[in-house]
Amino acid sequence: MICEDARAKLTAYLDGELEGDRGSAIRGHLRGCEMCRNLATDEAALRDGLRALPPLDPPHSLWTNIQHRLAAEEVADSDRPAWRRALARFAARWRPLAPQFALGSAALAAAVFVLALRYRASEPAGTTFAMPALPPIQQQVATAPTTIDGDVTAELAADTARKTASYRQAAEELVSFAVAKRDSWTDDRKAVFDGKLASFRKDAAAAPTERARDKIYRQMRTYLQDVAIRDVVTANDRKLAGTRGAP
Amino acid sequence: MEMLYHQFKRRVFGMAHRIVGPNDAEEVAQEVFVRVFRGLAAFRGDSALSTWIYRLTVNASLSHLARRGRRQEVSDESLAEVAAPPETTRDPGLASRIEAALQTLPPGYRAILVLHDVEGLSHEECASILECRVGTCKSQLHKARARMRELLGPIGERS
Repeated sequence: MICEDARAKLTAYLDGELEGDRGSAIRGHLRGCEMCRNLATDEAALRDGLRALPPLDPPHSLWTNIQHRLAAEEVADSDRPAWRRALARFAARWRPLAPQFALGSAALAAAVFVLALRYRASEPAGTTFAMPALPPIQQQVATAPTTIDGDVTAELAADTARKTASYRQAAEELVSFAVAKRDSWTDDRKAVFDGKLASFRKDAAAAPTERARDKIYRQMRTYLQDVAIRDVVTANDRKLAGTRGAP
Repeated sequence: MEMLYHQFKRRVFGMAHRIVGPNDAEEVAQEVFVRVFRGLAAFRGDSALSTWIYRLTVNASLSHLARRGRRQEVSDESLAEVAAPPETTRDPGLASRIEAALQTLPPGYRAILVLHDVEGLSHEECASILECRVGTCKSQLHKARARMRELLGPIGERS
């Protein structure tokens, strides 16, 4: 046996995994080779040293912090819509089948791609539509607290305030988008829009709690999204009339 | 719930401590136990409960290291800490040198050494936790120990 073979099997030999003649061959080599014997001695000392490492006690705060985090997660669950919780349950249940799902999804995506190519080939020229570019919505990334000391409700209130600020920012960006399109609207539409916007702003200013303000900004954002979508649909309808409507 | 915590706290914390290092061990252990308690109802019993908990611990530790983006380069300082002692017989500081050397290994090597050598799990259990083949596990352990030997220098008693 040469040193290279012996060294490759050293770990298995020291862990008692080589029996009979295989173990005997290694032992025989070690008797005659000082370098390999030294390696074996070092590895055995290392293995024994690793086994003898003392167990580590966690700090006393660990259990308290776990309980705090579990409480915070439960409160977050109660805020999460039922469909999202159901989706999470579904994902956890079917996660082991993810590879099969991935294969199925890839096959489906390929089929959709082929169909889209065929459809595109059969379309007359000049009927492509582009979505107008919306102003980028800056998202505030809320930094979740890693540890929760003291009152959990204070942390949650701070989180609601962060969410409110995020909705408010999104709403204001959508307002600027709507204002840019305003000139093409009818007078009636302008009046309705102004009235709605003023009403949302008034309600938000008078909201008694952070949670109520959060709800109003969420509604305002949804309304403004609808306004933006309407503009996009109208623009595409005009384009469609221009390309297909003409004899 | 508390009984389960007390049963596994030392192993979970110890594994996290030796894979991610002392600074982040508590955070990782906390995450593991939160996942354990929240996922216990969905635990399907495909493997032993301990295997499942150790798998969560190893995965959480490795993900934590990846998130932290920690470079696995061996710094001069850490090499100095693990450099061979002047004498090779009866090394009283071996445990602390081993702990320091562990922290300089790549995370995969660290995980297999902690599972097999420190925690004393079998190759089959390690393979189940690391979701790899038993052969891969053995070969990783061999390479990890060789790397540790290089880092620590001669530590066994010479005949």
